[in-house]
Amino acid sequence: MRPAVHRYSLATRLAHWVWVLAFFALVSSGLQIFNASPQLDASDKSDPARRVLSVDSPQDGKGTTTIFGRTIGTTGWLGWTDDGMGGKGARAFPGWITIPAYQDLASGRRWHLFFGWVASICWVAWLISAALKGTLQKMLLRPRDLRDCLAMQSYYLKLRKTPPPYDTYNPLQKAAYTAIGLVIAPLVVLTGLALSPGIDAMAQPLTALFGGRQFARLWHFAGMLLLIGFFCIHIFQVATQGFFNQMRSMITGWYRPGEHEGGTA
Amino acid sequence: MKRRLFVASSISAALAACSPIGTTLQDHFGFGGVLKSAESLDHLVIGTRGMAKEYRDADVDAQFRVNGLDTPGDATYASYVSQGFRPYRLVVDGDVDRKLALSLPQLQKMMQQTQITRHDCVEGWSAIGKWQGVRLADALALARPKTGARYVVFHCMDMDPDGNPYYESLDLHQAAHPQALLALRLNGKPLDPDHGAPVRLRVPTQLGYKSAKWVRRIEVVSTFAAIGQGQGGYWEDQGYEWYAGI
Repeated sequence: MRPAVHRYSLATRLAHWVWVLAFFALVSSGLQIFNASPQLDASDKSDPARRVLSVDSPQDGKGTTTIFGRTIGTTGWLGWTDDGMGGKGARAFPGWITIPAYQDLASGRRWHLFFGWVASICWVAWLISAALKGTLQKMLLRPRDLRDCLAMQSYYLKLRKTPPPYDTYNPLQKAAYTAIGLVIAPLVVLTGLALSPGIDAMAQPLTALFGGRQFARLWHFAGMLLLIGFFCIHIFQVATQGFFNQMRSMITGWYRPGEHEGGTA
Repeated sequence: MKRRLFVASSISAALAACSPIGTTLQDHFGFGGVLKSAESLDHLVIGTRGMAKEYRDADVDAQFRVNGLDTPGDATYASYVSQGFRPYRLVVDGDVDRKLALSLPQLQKMMQQTQITRHDCVEGWSAIGKWQGVRLADALALARPKTGARYVVFHCMDMDPDGNPYYESLDLHQAAHPQALLALRLNGKPLDPDHGAPVRLRVPTQLGYKSAKWVRRIEVVSTFAAIGQGQGGYWEDQGYEWYAGI
């Protein structure tokens, strides 16, 4: 067995777990906020003619979800769900996935805005620290990595025997980290800010950039879906690439290279 | 197969644990107090700066959505409506040099501002209306707030089923914003009872609950701690932010 290497700095480990916490708090409180008005329109003001998604309860005991005008029955999952108080009711997302479990927009907003700050401050702090230490430069996708992305994907699909040569992070990891850290996460924050009437007054072009307030709400929701997608793939990779080794390295910093060959998550 | 099961079960477990843990932290461990710290940061960073977007006539919602507490159903309001609001007076008092009791014709004779602005509800929806009325700053200038005054409290005619009256408040900086309006008309017609007749507030730089309907009295104060539950507004007393710019 090769000696363990110190792979993650304290700053990275700390930031990682703060983001895990913030991610869960933000998604669950965000769904609570969504429940107060479970429609998404591709417009500035609310406009049923430009409705992309709507979750409804047309009658007691029945839940429906309408996407681009196509309605499907989602009773028990969306529209008519658990009300977080032991019963059932007309709620878009079920109580088991929202914070608080019961309908409470005021508290949902408090959770969301608090953890929005936590995640953003953590992001800025980590970015500065990683840039100063050079970690960031190792993670950023560069144009020359694009060709290797394909080779790496072929390797994962077992179409290639060896991965392309790389330093700390393989080109697909770089692509994922760059997309999440520098594109999607900032867009989710900006689309969230664009919903705010105070920000709209202060920086009108921001809300306009996303197509108006309701459209920004739609992008904000879509950004959440992308983050959830990243989260699921990330967990899958951690679970399949030496789960305990990976977890140990993100908690203590130490990783044993010999223990499991293959990419990192 | 084992791996997939492990992944799926760990994700669901983490998701399912999140809601009860969060709910318990808030309900039994006073975590709500920690969360509230974000509000002062929002107020500091965003505040009231710039101007809300103004729209064209074509953008207006012909049927402006009605939301919030029910239209006042008491005898006084009914008699106001039946008499075309002739007995109505908008009282401006508290820490002011000159107390006012403005009738509707007096308000109509003051300089009128027209704004086509978007109303952003805290629930998430938005609607656009054409509002006309008197700038809040103009009405306050007539009354002349005293030095030491900090807030403007709007007492309203509507109340919830438990009898708690609606009220709202702004600080003097927010009240001085050129788009803070005492609206008398919506979409070219006098306000109808459901939209807050005869006078409602419009604060397009903040969420809709700040734009109080059925305003009867504007009280200038140094603190709102003794009004309602002391949080500065009806919805603020239910846990919503006093600073509603986000």
